[in-house]
Amino acid sequence: MDIIKNREGEKLCLAIKGRLDTTTAPQLDEVIKTELDGVNNLVYELGDLDYISSAGLRVLLASQKVMNKQGKMVVTGVKDDIMEVFEITGFADILDIQ
Amino acid sequence: MDVRCRSILEEFDNNIEVFKKMQKTVLDFLEKSFDETGVIPEGLESRIKDRNSLAEKLERKGDKYESMTDVTDLLGVRVITYYTTDISKVAALVEKEFEIDWDNSVDKRKSLASDQMGYMSIHYICRIPKSMHTDETCPKLNEYRFEIQLRTALQHVWATVNHDTGYKSEIEVPKIYIRQITRLAGLLEIADEEFAKIIGEITDYRRRVESLVESGNFDELSLDGDSFNSYIRIGPFDSLNEKIAAINKAEIRDVSLFPFYEVFVKLGFSTIGDIERMKEKLFDKAYQFMRIQIGATDIDIVASNVGIRALCIVWILDNGGDKNDLVEFLDILNGGKTSNESTAERILKIAKKAHIRERD
Repeated sequence: MDIIKNREGEKLCLAIKGRLDTTTAPQLDEVIKTELDGVNNLVYELGDLDYISSAGLRVLLASQKVMNKQGKMVVTGVKDDIMEVFEITGFADILDIQ
Repeated sequence: MDVRCRSILEEFDNNIEVFKKMQKTVLDFLEKSFDETGVIPEGLESRIKDRNSLAEKLERKGDKYESMTDVTDLLGVRVITYYTTDISKVAALVEKEFEIDWDNSVDKRKSLASDQMGYMSIHYICRIPKSMHTDETCPKLNEYRFEIQLRTALQHVWATVNHDTGYKSEIEVPKIYIRQITRLAGLLEIADEEFAKIIGEITDYRRRVESLVESGNFDELSLDGDSFNSYIRIGPFDSLNEKIAAINKAEIRDVSLFPFYEVFVKLGFSTIGDIERMKEKLFDKAYQFMRIQIGATDIDIVASNVGIRALCIVWILDNGGDKNDLVEFLDILNGGKTSNESTAERILKIAKKAHIRERD
């Protein structure tokens, strides 16, 4: 998995490529724990995300929880397979998917 | 200004810090108490008397004051509430927690004659009791008196406007205007009472709704925001969620179910009983719909809306709904995403596979 970070002032864009699973989710978790200070607009670009596991979902939900307190979080470019996971789990109604 | 008044002014100058400490103590206490009692004040104001204002007062009424302790408004605190019922709550709190100088306190609501309209605040002259706060370096903190005024927002508006008209000098303000201001006092008093009445009725209604929900009288509950909110608090979809989660031994994350209120309204449900019947009738189909999807994955986390979401989808299909109805349902839930069309198509395929819907 690759994470491409782009910080512009209070906006942080994280483009995730590859698989977000048990092995790679801690890598994203670390980014969330260290890079959200002063961010009020978090954008996940998931156009190149091929797979998401429960561990990946948990990291997204953790970042959503942080952003609920300090701004907003949006998820963009979601592929059909990933969207299906969001729908099945009920999180499609919770996440701001654009 | 005589010697006594100059001495009072000097004492005031030397004790400004005491009043600042008193001010902080009183405000901290009131703010904490508001949180505990659930009173949401419209305003909490305070001021330490301006030196020039005190000097002017001493010039005017110097004979009245032997020492600074005779001046009771050197610190003034004003609590403004939205409702008269909250005034009563704050008044009870002040009377319980502060040392009240009853001889100098006044409830203007009671002091007005039955045929008089006008200023309606409560003024308490208080001391900070040692049980609330002491400061060994500042014993006067518990000795000086101060004033707490309580009034509603409407009483505050009236008092402010009335003050601005120069009500104390009737010579300058023609009687016709005084009469108009007085009429407004009556109008605002009625408005305050009506607000309190409405709030009381809403509170009673909510209690009745909660009681009906707890006793399971769902058919007596019209579907509205309050009844739905009370209903979802008893966890009506927990058993379906748990059964769905058990497919993959999944963790259930709590999320708000309130967005589904609008869905049920749109689907034409009119009572909470309608939702209960839908749940009983379609429980197994909703489970089957989710089993086919979750069972094909290794996902071990779901949101607490999976059950209610599946029930709504199955209900739409069971009642002859098509792709457009599903898109409309999804639009209500997540705000009209472009992906809702493809999601609806996927739902139809799953429904066919789960034998919930034999045709696309």
